[in-house]
Parts: sequence; structure tokens; C-alpha cells
Amino acid sequence: MAKLRIVDLTKRFDEVLAVDKLNLEVAEGEFVTLLGPSGCGKTTTLRTIAGFLYPDVGEIFFGDKIMNNVPPNKRNTAMCFQSYALFPHMTVWDNISFGLKMKKIKRQEQKKRVSKVMEMLGIGELAKRKPGELSGGQQQRVALARAIVTEPQILLFDEPLSNLDAKLRVQVRVEIREMQKRLGITTIYVTHDQDEALAISDRIVVMDRGHIEQVADPYTIYRAPETSFVAGFIGLANIFEGTIVARDGNRYTVEAPFGKIVIVSKDTKVSKASKTVKFIWRPEDMNIYTDGAPNRVEGKILQAVFMGNITDIFMDVNGNKMRAQTDESRKLIAGDLIEFSIPETAFSILRR
Amino acid sequence: MKEKEILPLHFLMLIPGVGFILLFIGSSIFTTLVQSFGLFSITGQSEFTLENWKTILQARESMDSLFFSLKMGFLSSVGTVVVAFPIALFFRKGGTGKGILGSIIKVPLFIPALVAAFLILNLISYHGMVNTVLMRLNLIDEQLRMLNDKFGWGVVFIQIWKNLPFVLLIIMASIASIRDDTIDAARNLGAGYWSILFRMYVPLAMPGILVSMILMFIKAFGDFPIVSVAGPIYPSSMAGRMHIMATIYQEWDQAAVLGVIIIVTAFFVIWAYSRLAELVKGEG
Repeated sequence: MAKLRIVDLTKRFDEVLAVDKLNLEVAEGEFVTLLGPSGCGKTTTLRTIAGFLYPDVGEIFFGDKIMNNVPPNKRNTAMCFQSYALFPHMTVWDNISFGLKMKKIKRQEQKKRVSKVMEMLGIGELAKRKPGELSGGQQQRVALARAIVTEPQILLFDEPLSNLDAKLRVQVRVEIREMQKRLGITTIYVTHDQDEALAISDRIVVMDRGHIEQVADPYTIYRAPETSFVAGFIGLANIFEGTIVARDGNRYTVEAPFGKIVIVSKDTKVSKASKTVKFIWRPEDMNIYTDGAPNRVEGKILQAVFMGNITDIFMDVNGNKMRAQTDESRKLIAGDLIEFSIPETAFSILRR
Repeated sequence: MKEKEILPLHFLMLIPGVGFILLFIGSSIFTTLVQSFGLFSITGQSEFTLENWKTILQARESMDSLFFSLKMGFLSSVGTVVVAFPIALFFRKGGTGKGILGSIIKVPLFIPALVAAFLILNLISYHGMVNTVLMRLNLIDEQLRMLNDKFGWGVVFIQIWKNLPFVLLIIMASIASIRDDTIDAARNLGAGYWSILFRMYVPLAMPGILVSMILMFIKAFGDFPIVSVAGPIYPSSMAGRMHIMATIYQEWDQAAVLGVIIIVTAFFVIWAYSRLAELVKGEG
């Protein structure tokens, strides 16, 4: 187990700046997810930590030791690949014991550790099979066993669940998290799946175009996104910009394109000189309007998608597109007029 | 869905392909085999006898030719793969000069074996370029005998040069099919350069290596032109011995015995390489 520190990491591929001055600290035993769309630099960052790529600028530390020029086979990291990358010519047992052989662990100890990890992941009966004879879920568990059996300082995951079906994905991610907690290995996990990131992480690093947009725990990332990119990338969001017409501490009256609203900000991101403010709220925070409720908006339903427990509504409010979700029991149809209220504390003010 | 029935017509449609093999390859192998026992002889006689086999197996020249051809086949196949493998790895990695090197390497593919033998002959002859350079660099005191040498190094050298592009194409395809992730996973688990080479690249490219070695062996084992030009005065290759037996001594049935030995040896070698590949592929 080791603390990971990345300082000003920059990596360029010809003209493309893949990672731009990235700074990150990961505590011992922490589970941190790098989340972002394709091309945001998350896999480049992960591969640089593993040593497959070398930084153009910046440093990577495991504990206090700088790792920039340490080759991947000397780093004591273990990576679970998106493709699993199991060795097709070896049995499951040989796959799992490979890292121990490379580290010249005694045969008796190898046997003990491989048996233990196979039992822990419930793959004991697969020992003599070849990867081609395993299902996707079994291959994933073998890849995981192969990674953890070497007791790495840092465990790396590169979109490990993307080849599994939805049900198995949920099951395996729970297993990964439980196993990581039990072993306490510092873990960096790369995914573009926001649900996976929210469910599994101690902290999430949201990345876009090579730089970090926000680092926070899953709750904060969802409830208090700092940028419109984070707000839009994670969950559903209504994002607007308005003019501040009055302020009273952290309570702002804002003239938004769809009408006047009151925002109670949880922090003080708005400077006193600011005249405009960018803000978001989640569609599920909107309530069907009742007398006296704050921030009333009236709109025309453009589309209402019934999803069983909720109805997803796309509506037009004074020429502005807005999305709401409600558990309203009556059937809503396109063309209907509907009134919502938005709680004053449902808003998050964005940095940009 | 109903499984399609195989009709006699389907078998008839195979005739152009399978028929050719049976008629021209199968029948010629069969003819050689029966001729070696004195049946359907080219001279018109047809009487079963083991005399041809006895004569060939007792003749020292025949056995010397067999061992020489086996040696040439083995060294040429191993040598070509050993030379081709690092080049194939270089092409997988990429880098500057890849295009030019690729073009140069392919040149021998378009040169007939006899012409290739003469080209290399000039290079490695007693007063050829290789000896001249080695002498100028003071690396040797007197010229090396690389051509028509008793061991057959000249033949091996020409076989490697001539067949390198062909083997390279097979091994490159085999290496290209190895996923980068597999190699990265091995590195990540602590494998150094040699471990990756012998535990990943070699076993994973084994199908290509195996095919190359078999094809190379058969080519070199049954070679006639290269051994004729660059081989030792004695022994001759099996194919050379066949030529002597048939055209000089007019012993066609004994030549057929040599032909059968070549065919049987080729099949045995294919079987042995397959066994070897299985052993290498297993990870203990």
C-alpha cells in the first residue's frame, strides 16, 4: 500500500495534449476514480502511473519515491485491463501465479497465495482451465485475482467492467469494492460510467480535455458540481445563467431567462463584484407546484416519458428547454401546461 | 432451422480441388512408394522386391546424404526463424526505417533460388566481399572457406537469406495477433525483457513459428539448386542423390526409395515439431 502523488503531470502525443499539468494526491488505501469522456486523459494518466508511458513533464511519487524512470515491471503496481489481458496460452492457475513467479516467490508460498485468492474470489474450480474456456465474469475475476495476488502497492483498473452485461457489472463492482476495502490497497479506477464511479469510489476525479474539473467525494460531485461540465457529465442537469438583482448573504435573487428565482447557495463561490451567476439544479429536485412553494415555473410539456416510478418531462418555459422528473401519478401528455417549483437550496452555483 | 443435407452433388463440386490433389499429388506419392518396391517401374518391369531398400539403406553415400539433408533442414529452419523473429518484433514495435528495411528484406522473395545462390556465392566465396572485409578489419588472418565447405554453412547462409522474407511474413502475422494488453499485463506483473520474449512472444507466436519451421525444413531438406551450387563436394543432398541415382546410374527404383525417405522424414518432422510446440506452449 502506498500514497500516490502526481505533480504537474503533462503528457503529449504529437500535437495532442492528453494530460495537462495534472495534480493529484491519493491517500493510502483510498479508492479514487478517474471519470470523464473518451479522450479526457484518464487512461493516459493511469498508464503513466503504471509506467507504460513516461511523463513529458511532472513527477509521479509512490510514497516518497519518485517513479518517473522506474520501468513498469519494477513498480509493484497491478493493473486490471478492459480486455482482461489474460494470457491465452496459460491456465487460470498459471495466469494468477505469473506475477509471483516473476517476483521469484518460493513455490510453496506461490501455491498458498494463489489458492487463497482463488478461494476469496470463488474461482477455485477454474484452476486448470484456459481463459478461452471462461465466461466474461469468470475472466474478470481471474484478472482481479492475478492483480491482487502480488500484493501491489497500487491497484489500477482500466474500465474493467465495460465488457460485462449490466447485471454482472453491478455484481462485480460490489465485489471489487469489498475486496479493496478488505485488503486496503490504494486503488485508481478509470471509467466513463458515472453510475459506476458514484457507487464505488471514495473520491472521484472528473476530467475533461486533459485537466481536472473537480475532485470530491461522490455526494459532493453530484450535489455540488463546480463546473457546468461536471454538472452536465454526471447525472441530469438544468444549467442556466442569470443576472443577480439582489443579494442577502448567501441568498441571491436572480433574473434567469425563464423568470425570477431565489437561490440559497451552500458556499460562497460568488464574488461580490459578480453581476451574473451560472447555476444548475437536478430535474428530480423539481416538485409539482403547490401554493406558497418557492421558485414557481410554468411550462408546456414537449414530451413526457413514463418510466414506471417516475415520469421524465421535457418542457418549454418561456422559450427555454427544461427537464423535470416527477412521481406524479396522473398521466402527463405533450401539450399540457404544468407548474413546478424548485427548492431554493436545490441550486448549485458553478465556477464556470 | 433445418440442417442442410449433404448431397452427392456437393461431393462432386469438390472434384476440381480434391481431385487435383488425389490425381497429381496422391498418385505420384503412391507411384513413388510402389516403385521403391519394384512395382510399376519406369523401365516397364514390375516385380515386388526389397532389394532397392536394402541397397539404399546399406549404402554409406545415401545415409551421409540423409544426415546432411537433415542437418541442412534443421539448421536452415532454426536459423531463419532465429533471424526473422527479432526483425518481426522490430516491425511490431515500429520505428524509423521500418519502410525501407521492409522493402530490402522482401528482395530475396523475388529472386529464384539458383540466382540467389550465385549472388551469395560471390559474397561468401574465398575472395568474396565478406572475407575481404574481415581481412581488412584484421579480424581473420586468412580467408574463411564458407563456400562448398564440408559442413554446409554456405548452404545454411543462402537458405536463410533466400527464405527470410517468406518466414518473416508468417511470423510477423503471428506476432501482430498478440494483443498489446497481454504484453503490458506481463510487464505490469514484473516480467522483464527476456521473460516477455520467452513466456509471451515465443509461445503466443508458436503457431507461426511452427508453420515457418516446417515449411523451411521441407524446403531446405529437399533442396537441390542451392546445395548443388554452394554445398560440399561430398555428401550431396537427398535431392542431389536422387538426381544422381536416376539420371547418372539410371536406378529409378532406388531413386524412388530416396524419394520415399524424403516424404516420410518430412511427415515425421511435422509430427515432431507439433509435439515440440505443445511442450513449449504449456506453462509449468
